[in-house]
Amino acid sequence: MNNIRKEFPGVIALKDVSFDVLPGEVHLLLGENGAGKSTLMKILSGIYTPTSGTISIQGKTFDRLTPKLSSQLGISIIYQELSVVNNLSIAENLFMGKLPVKKVFNFLPIVDKKGYMKRAEAIVKRVGLTKPVDTLVGDLSISEKQMVEIAKALADDSKIVVMDEPTSSLTSEETENLFEIIRKLKADGIGVVYISHKLKELREIGDRVTVLKDGNTVATKKMDEIESENEIISMMVGREVKKEFFNDEPIDYNNAEVIFRAEHITRKDKRVDDVSFELYKGEVLGFAGLVGAGRTELMTTIFAGEQYQSGKIYLNGKELPIRSPYRSIKNGIALLTENRRETGIFPLFNIRENLVLVNRLLKSKAQGFIGLIHPKEDQEIAEHQRKQMMVKCASLDQLITTLSGGNQQKVIVGKWMASKAKVMIFDEPTKGIDIGAKAEMYGIMRSLAQQGIGVIMISSELPELLGICDRIVVLNNGKLKGVLNIKDATEELILKTATM
Amino acid sequence: METKRIGFTKFWDRFGTVIIFVGMLLIFSLFAPPTFLTWNNLKQIATQSSVTMLIACGEFFAILVAGIDLSVGSVVALTGMITAKLMVSAGMPVLPAFLIGSVLCGLLLGLINGALINVTNVHPFIITLGTQSVFRALTLIISNAQATFGFPGTFSKIFGGLWNGIPMSVVIALVVAVLMWFITSKTTFGRNLYAIGGNRDSAWYSGINVKMHILAVHTISGLCAGICGSVLTARLGAAEPNGATGYETDAIAAAIIGGTSFFGGKGTIPGVIIGALILGLINNGLNMCSVPTFYQNLATGLLLIIAVALDTFIARKK
Repeated sequence: MNNIRKEFPGVIALKDVSFDVLPGEVHLLLGENGAGKSTLMKILSGIYTPTSGTISIQGKTFDRLTPKLSSQLGISIIYQELSVVNNLSIAENLFMGKLPVKKVFNFLPIVDKKGYMKRAEAIVKRVGLTKPVDTLVGDLSISEKQMVEIAKALADDSKIVVMDEPTSSLTSEETENLFEIIRKLKADGIGVVYISHKLKELREIGDRVTVLKDGNTVATKKMDEIESENEIISMMVGREVKKEFFNDEPIDYNNAEVIFRAEHITRKDKRVDDVSFELYKGEVLGFAGLVGAGRTELMTTIFAGEQYQSGKIYLNGKELPIRSPYRSIKNGIALLTENRRETGIFPLFNIRENLVLVNRLLKSKAQGFIGLIHPKEDQEIAEHQRKQMMVKCASLDQLITTLSGGNQQKVIVGKWMASKAKVMIFDEPTKGIDIGAKAEMYGIMRSLAQQGIGVIMISSELPELLGICDRIVVLNNGKLKGVLNIKDATEELILKTATM
Repeated sequence: METKRIGFTKFWDRFGTVIIFVGMLLIFSLFAPPTFLTWNNLKQIATQSSVTMLIACGEFFAILVAGIDLSVGSVVALTGMITAKLMVSAGMPVLPAFLIGSVLCGLLLGLINGALINVTNVHPFIITLGTQSVFRALTLIISNAQATFGFPGTFSKIFGGLWNGIPMSVVIALVVAVLMWFITSKTTFGRNLYAIGGNRDSAWYSGINVKMHILAVHTISGLCAGICGSVLTARLGAAEPNGATGYETDAIAAAIIGGTSFFGGKGTIPGVIIGALILGLINNGLNMCSVPTFYQNLATGLLLIIAVALDTFIARKK
């Protein structure tokens, strides 16, 4: 891709970007949100037409691509939100839209099921997926679905595979698997473009790295020329960032006061089995574990009463019912859900409405059935929270969907703060937000803890947990495996505890 | 350029329905006979639209939470029939008959819809399609498929007469509309409905009791249809067992033309009222131009498609 420029009405997304991928290499594409990575990839996949510049693929030069042309040229893009179809089998997903056909009685074309099942098996083997190819994709885990996506690229005979944040919802083990697959792709001469926010992974997988910033290429470098992660970070943000630790003041647990306690929480589906923990005043309590360990399930049971079978919770020594979100919120427990877009925001509401909704609910009578709107009060509360959370917006009247992921997340935190939560549970709060916004989220969580609010944080990124939490609870397979004090905790110890 | 287009989108979002309404009015005043633009005829349009307005107000709630209520036509017929029977066969005075036959039964039938949806977790489309048949059958059973008439004059006066020169049906529709407008825009309950329609899961995790709200939504829809039962019966002078057939289509059309999003979370009561008026306008205007009835359905159908397509098209332009 040479000198690509892309203008949208009012903004220039890419100014003059050149980018190339060689066969058999992994080329990392980095940059903060809004740097232009996705725009560049959308031009490659033919969704966007570049304003100027050219694209050359295997010697042929194009002014623009179309999605069809792009896939014919062997370009596959695996987006963060996977595009597999849940109610089709693995094999059907691989050959979607191009199922091989055979003729019966020499004229009636029917799908050659035997043929494509066989081909599917061969391809699936290459990515190391062990499930039978007639398994419904909906029954697979996220990492297996991703393998199906990669297999799909292989089925298309792709020459270039673009992966957009492929590890954002994978556990460390699954990530290792993915890297193994990527190495195989490399060996087959396929060029891989790898987009990620997780700097730690880069060295392990990348051959070259290109950093974008504000629509410009900052640099393209060989991986072995790069000395440290900080060098990359400073290229991305344009300044040297020190690795920050937010938990440098240890808590005196002998004198600390317990805010929240959960005892013997068990779910009907046994995805959480007899888990107990305590949350002290002033601490951030982390929850580590592989995906499927039961962390999210534990929190939705405590907060929403989902699948609740037995167990008790206490806030400041007083037992609380485990029933519904409304009850929990009323009693001062808040849950920032993992899936911001699906269970966090109200996409049709503006920022103000998103901020005041819960508070309004609590002030009204009969669970929100009886109560009037007070626009003035709403405005004050929303304005206060916007300042507290430092939400970057032109006006509270903007739709929440016009904000970046990080700012949407801040609005959701603000929503819970406005409802005067005493315990806040953050489930993967930094998923899919850029580095700057992540640091802000860490700051927010620490300052909540300082204000005496109980903070629980689930995260799959161990460095993040180690940098913020005071203690880390490790779960595996629905059971509590151990509680580590930050003084002794290391990534290795957490993984060891989890798999013990 | 960007700002300009967003400005237009916002403008259309807010005033699109009004523009269609005014446009229609202009077109008909140009092409229809001069009698079209007279006070009497405009009053006629309002009266004809009032039934749709009433049902559409309730239907709006169901669509707002990304559901639907297909049973409203049957509820109108059943409540109308019960009210008539209470007066004619049981000799009940007008007011109690209205309160029991229309208001209470309307609420109850809506409650049944809501409860079935919540208990079975089946999509409202299916549930209300089923109750549409059930309620219609009940109407036929209790009436023995015969029309009921001969109710007291006060009934016709209250629900079909004039108040200071304005038809009572219009007054009732407007009172209900103002009440529903208040509920949707000024109460927490109303805002909760928009929240549920916008993102049901977020609403649940934010503490909104989604099921209770769904129950309430269908109860309101039943209530509006119930009140309409009396209005329609009074206007026709009889409770017809096959009356109000297909009225749910008009109600849905009015809500959608009025800017309600079929995916939930978007729309206003004033929009719905104008939507109902637009439908009335088309029928009346085409009548005036002596266009046969079946062409009127053609026009209504096309308008519905054009209005929604235009809306989607503009939304996509964003």
